[in-house]
Amino acid sequence: MVNIFVLIKQVPGTHNLEIDKKNGALIREGIETMINPDDLYALELGLKLKERYGGNTTALTMGPSQAEFALRECLAMGVDEAIHVCDQIFAYSDTLQTTLVLKEVFDKIKNYDLIITGSQTSDSSTGQVPYQLSEALDIPLITDIFSIELKNGFVQCQRNFGHESQNIQVELPIILRVRKHFNKPRPLSLLGIKKAFEKGIKKFDFNSLNCPDSIDGCNKSPTRVVKTEKISLQRKNEIIKGTITEKIQKIIEIIQEHGIEKIWVGGAHE
Amino acid sequence: MNNESDYKDIWVFTEIKDHVKVHDCALEILGKGREIADKLGQNLVAVMLALDAEQYISVIEEHGADKIIYMSHPELKHYHERIFTKIVHEFVEEYKPSIFLFPSTEVGNALAARIAYRCKTGLVSDVLNLELSDEYGENLLLTDKPAYGGNIHVKIICPNTRPQMCTITMGTFKKTLIQKATVEIIKKEFNHDVQSKIKIIGTPTRKDKPTSTLSDVKFVLGGGNGLVSKDNFNKLFQLARLTSGQVGGTRRPILDGWMPEHLQIGISGETISSDLYISFGISGAIQHVVGIKDSKTIVAINKDPNAPIFRVADYCIIADAKDILDGLLEYFTVD
Repeated sequence: MVNIFVLIKQVPGTHNLEIDKKNGALIREGIETMINPDDLYALELGLKLKERYGGNTTALTMGPSQAEFALRECLAMGVDEAIHVCDQIFAYSDTLQTTLVLKEVFDKIKNYDLIITGSQTSDSSTGQVPYQLSEALDIPLITDIFSIELKNGFVQCQRNFGHESQNIQVELPIILRVRKHFNKPRPLSLLGIKKAFEKGIKKFDFNSLNCPDSIDGCNKSPTRVVKTEKISLQRKNEIIKGTITEKIQKIIEIIQEHGIEKIWVGGAHE
Repeated sequence: MNNESDYKDIWVFTEIKDHVKVHDCALEILGKGREIADKLGQNLVAVMLALDAEQYISVIEEHGADKIIYMSHPELKHYHERIFTKIVHEFVEEYKPSIFLFPSTEVGNALAARIAYRCKTGLVSDVLNLELSDEYGENLLLTDKPAYGGNIHVKIICPNTRPQMCTITMGTFKKTLIQKATVEIIKKEFNHDVQSKIKIIGTPTRKDKPTSTLSDVKFVLGGGNGLVSKDNFNKLFQLARLTSGQVGGTRRPILDGWMPEHLQIGISGETISSDLYISFGISGAIQHVVGIKDSKTIVAINKDPNAPIFRVADYCIIADAKDILDGLLEYFTVD
C-alpha cells in the first residue's frame, strides 16, 4: 500500500496586508487565509494516485493553530488523514528550521512512500523546502513531471530535466514537486465538507517529536527578517468619462502614447 | 553556528548553460560580486563545474573574478544533484567563503538550497538587491526580497552562520567588463563515484523549454469573464495580432476553454511587467492582480464601477468590455 503525504501551507488570501508599525511584522490576526494555490495541484495528484493505485493519503502542514482550517479543507477534498505540526517553538521558522522539523516528523512516521509538494508558497516564495527535505531524508526529489506510474515500489515518470525530456525510474520513497497547472484541482463537495468535520486531525509538537535542541524557529533560524515594507500600488485611478466612442478614443490615444501603431497583417503571410 | 571570522571571500556559482556558455545571469552576478568584494577588500571567486571547462575561463576572467575554482569532467556535462552538491559542498568546507551567490535558475536554486542545508546556513531566494550593512552587525549582507506576491518587501540578514547565501534573478544586475591583472586559477581533480538513485530509461529527447510568452512582452491584453463568450475572446486575440500585443487572462477563460493555460496571469500563472496592460472584463481578484502590478500603465475596462481592478488601474473605463473591444478592433483593422 502506498503511503502518500502532501505538504501544504496556509497562506494569507488577501491583498490588504498590513504591517504592525511597532515591530514591522505582518499582522496575521483576523485576515482571510487559504491553502497555498500551488499546493492544490499537489493535493490533486495525491488524490488521483490513490484513486488509481489505492493506498492512503495524508495532508500535512506545519503552522499555527488556525492552520487546522486548511487541513479541514484538504479532508473535504478527500484526503484520508491530516497531520498538524504545531508548537510555539516552531513559530518564525525559516526554510532550514522548517526542514529540520519536517525531518523529525518523517523520521517519526517512518512509513512514507511519496511526499508531494507544490512548487512555491505565495507568501514567502522561496521554493527551497522540497530540495532541503530531499537532502535531510536523503531521498530523491523529482520535479517537473508530466506523467507518472507506480509499479511495485517504483515510480516511472516522464520529466523535463534541464533541456531534456527523460523517462526515469526511481525506487520509493521519493519527493515529488508538482508544477502549476499539472492537473485540475477538484472542488470541495458538500459530502466532503460534512465528512471533513467528522475526522480527527493528528497533532505533533516539539515533545511528541522528541525534537533536538537545535530546533527553535525563533532563535535558531539562520536567516532573520529585519525589515518589512509594504509596497503601495500607487495608481492614478483616473475615471474616463463620456460616451462609449469617447472612451474608445481615449484608449486608442493611450495605446499610441505607448508607441503601439496599427500594423499591416493582411496579404500573403503564413 | 560557525566562527564568522574564519570565512572570507565572495563566491559566485558560474553555471554553464546547456553545456555551451556561461549563464548570463552568473556574469551579471559577478559584476555585483566585484563591487562587494572591493568594499570588503576580499576576493571574488567563481566556482564552475563543466565538461571541457577550460573554454569558459576567459569569459569569467573578463567579468571581474580574482580567482576561479573549477573542475572539468564528462560527468559534469549536465547538472547532477548528488555529484554537484557533494563537490560544491566540499569546496565550501575547504575554502570557507563568507558570501555565496547563485543565479536563480532551475540548477542554481536547487544547488543553493542543498548546499545551504548541508552547511546549516540561511538562503534567501530571488533577491532584488544586496548590500553590505553595519546596521545589524559588521559588514553583514543585507538582502531585499519580495514576498506575498510582491506586495511586501522584506530585508533579510544571516548573522551567525556562513556562508551568507542567496539566489538572484536574471536581469537584476548588469554585466560589467573588468579584467583583473592577475587571476588565480585552481583546477580540482574530479574524483567522485556517486551513484544516482534515478535511472534513465532509453534515450532522453532534447526539449528546450518554451520561453514564457508573457513575461517580456511590452503590451498585454488581459481577458476575463466579462467577455462572456469564446467569440468575444477570439476578438481579443485578433486585436493582439493587430497591435503586436499578447493575450493573457484570468483562470476563468481557461476553464471555459477560451484561452490556453500558459497564458494565465497571476498568482498561479505568469507575472508580467509590460509597458501597457489593458484588462477587458476582469474583476480584479488578488490572484490576478499580483501578476499585473509591475506593469507601467494599467487600463481597466469593466461595467461594474465597484470592480476591485479599478483600485490598481491608472485609467478606469466603466463600460461593457465587448463594446470597447469592438471599437478598438474597428480602429486597428487596416482596410
